Amino acid sequence: MDVAMTSTTRTVCPSCGGPISDADLFCEACGAELAPAALGKPAIDTDTEPTIELNPAAVPDLSEGAAPGPCRSCGGVVGADGYCQTCGTKASKPRDHFSEQPAPWVAAVCDRGIRHSRNEDAVAIAADAEPGSRALLVVCDGVSSSLDSDVASLAAARAAREVLVAGHAQGMGTESSRNAAVVARLTAAADAANDAVLANTSPDSPNPASCTFVATVLEDGLLVAGVVGDSRAYWFPDNAEAVGLTVDDSWAAELIATGVPRHEAETGPQAHAITRWLGKDAPDHTPRTTTLNVSGPGWLLVCSDGLWNYCSEAAPLADLVRQTAAAHGGEPLATSSALVDWANAQGGQDNITVALARL
Amino acid sequence: MAEFTASVYQNEFLPDGGTDVHAIVTVACTGAGAAGQSGSGDAGEIIIVDTSGSMGADGVRAAAYAAQTALDQILDGVWFAVISGNDRAQLAFPPSPEPVMVKMDQFTRQAAKDAVARFYADGGTAMGTWLRLAARVFATVPSLTQKHAILLTDGENQHETPEVLTATIEAVTGQFQCDCRGVGVAWQVAEVRRIATALLGTVDIIPAPDQLAAEFSKLIRQAMSKGVAAADMRVWAPQGAQVLFVRQVAPNVDDLTSRRTEVNALTGSYPTGSWGDESRDYHVAVRLAAKGIGQEQLAARVQLAIGEQVVAQGLVRALWSSDEGLTTRISPEVAHYTGQTELADAIQEGLAAKAAGDTATATTKLGRAVQLAAQTGNEEATSRLRKVVDIDDQDTGTVRLKRSVEKADEMALDTASTKTTRVKK
Repeated sequence: MDVAMTSTTRTVCPSCGGPISDADLFCEACGAELAPAALGKPAIDTDTEPTIELNPAAVPDLSEGAAPGPCRSCGGVVGADGYCQTCGTKASKPRDHFSEQPAPWVAAVCDRGIRHSRNEDAVAIAADAEPGSRALLVVCDGVSSSLDSDVASLAAARAAREVLVAGHAQGMGTESSRNAAVVARLTAAADAANDAVLANTSPDSPNPASCTFVATVLEDGLLVAGVVGDSRAYWFPDNAEAVGLTVDDSWAAELIATGVPRHEAETGPQAHAITRWLGKDAPDHTPRTTTLNVSGPGWLLVCSDGLWNYCSEAAPLADLVRQTAAAHGGEPLATSSALVDWANAQGGQDNITVALARL
Repeated sequence: MAEFTASVYQNEFLPDGGTDVHAIVTVACTGAGAAGQSGSGDAGEIIIVDTSGSMGADGVRAAAYAAQTALDQILDGVWFAVISGNDRAQLAFPPSPEPVMVKMDQFTRQAAKDAVARFYADGGTAMGTWLRLAARVFATVPSLTQKHAILLTDGENQHETPEVLTATIEAVTGQFQCDCRGVGVAWQVAEVRRIATALLGTVDIIPAPDQLAAEFSKLIRQAMSKGVAAADMRVWAPQGAQVLFVRQVAPNVDDLTSRRTEVNALTGSYPTGSWGDESRDYHVAVRLAAKGIGQEQLAARVQLAIGEQVVAQGLVRALWSSDEGLTTRISPEVAHYTGQTELADAIQEGLAAKAAGDTATATTKLGRAVQLAAQTGNEEATSRLRKVVDIDDQDTGTVRLKRSVEKADEMALDTASTKTTRVKK
């Protein structure tokens, strides 16, 4: 798919990526003046406003028919019967375990975990080559009680990425307008993700597909996170206190807000009941956003509850990420993979997604 | 064209730390066709008849009649020969000083019948010499892919040491298949079973000579219906795993474990002989290194191969679970055949102890056999056991050895000990 081509249509604001129509003179979201269509110029000029590069080759083929790679356990050849010909390990379906690394400083691993029979988590990321410059990380966690959530969550994450790579928001150039532009793009990305979920829901489904949504956009020191549901984003600066960037839309979070201790709320019977999600029966899917100016080195983590279930508080999770990174030479893909392994070692009760950017 | 299928029956769920996986694999063949007519080579049949002095004139006459009946059942075009054996072996047909075979047609059939009619009883018994001659005779026809013999004896192998017989069995194993029959009660079941087992055949008792003809013609008809000359069972197990055993468990128990030859480091091959339209059950047990809860791995690929071509495959899986409702379940097929195998052992060990005068062991073992036969629904075994022991309580296996037992009944119990009943579906 050629994302750059898609982005040249007049349906998104060239400044913030927000939705616009041909008749608009100014963008509803960021207020940018829109060039008249009559000029025939593409709305986003990829020469002067480069999009984040999304290399199709870096996007793994997760379809059912995709050829299995070597055995993940021993490196042996996987037989036509779906098992390794050397060690007998069942080859996971490509959808059950995959990773992305668009640039050396950004990586993500998405895994089925141990207890679930399907991987309903999904991740889609993109980044510019220059370390610490621009990256976007999207994680969607399919709700396992609904149908086809694995298909829907992947479509949602990738649709959101498509929107987010399209525009390099400048807004009016000021701090607040830059922020507003990114927020507008996150909202547009959530819309696209929601549309993707709907497109993958059978109209007469008794139990329509649904998923969470968390996306972070990092652009030149500006970090914006948007969330619907209980997937999370954290910022772990090397020389300052760890920060949780998101507040869950969950029953547990509501309890915490009323003063119930976090541990108690997150282990209660309703701990995993979420109050907002994407999908046909979703009440509202506008992401709640948080903006942070980041300077100095640190780790940006975006993850599903498959990870944070085993380490919810920002400070100990930061310690875990830092220690794991140290043990893997600070390499994001190896670190993401090791964090997935760690969650599996804790029981792997849920699908696990870890996306990391090293700033 | 023969078609094979393989079905696996197992409980794939292992508890935390569990290592042993058991499965019953049913292999079925359809469309086998007739021996020697599948285009993959010729079929050969040798009839081996005991003509030792102990057979007596009547015995030899009955055996000759049985051999003639058998000759009638051999299909035209099948290579054949007849061997008469006492303390040495003679090629009774074709009449030749050197080993040779001929193709069956109306003329060779009649000539062979005439030759068989001239049998007379004389000399001792050395079965090893019969087997060696049969192997040499088969070897004269290179086009044979299917080689089957039937062997009839009436006495102990007195004119040959057990060591020589053992060496002979080893020498001819793999060269032909042989079904063995003992007539009367003067022969040793264990001795003849050794031959039949090694040569992928069956052993049975024919109590009276007048039953010979029917049995012989049945055996030849069976042999002629085996259109698949030879097939091998292949068992793949993962690196680091151990194949504990591979057993045929139906229609009779036959431990294949020691017949393994290596296909590659992870795959063993076990000969299964020729196949007609039939189904056989195999019990495969593999020991794995335990994996974590929720993990799945393949414990074995169980395949049937004709030459190098795999014609059917069954997958034996292992899945570690913390759910006791799943892991404590025992596959009914595995339980059934485990019981049937133990039944065969209990009968054979009980009869051996009885023969050795160890009444206590014999009573315990045969009592256990009665219990197992009842539990696994093997009514044939139960009725055979009744002729050897008085059953006080079959549920607890309480029995008393009968004071007087017909020798033939005891031998019939022994030869039939490995016959199993199928799982009731």
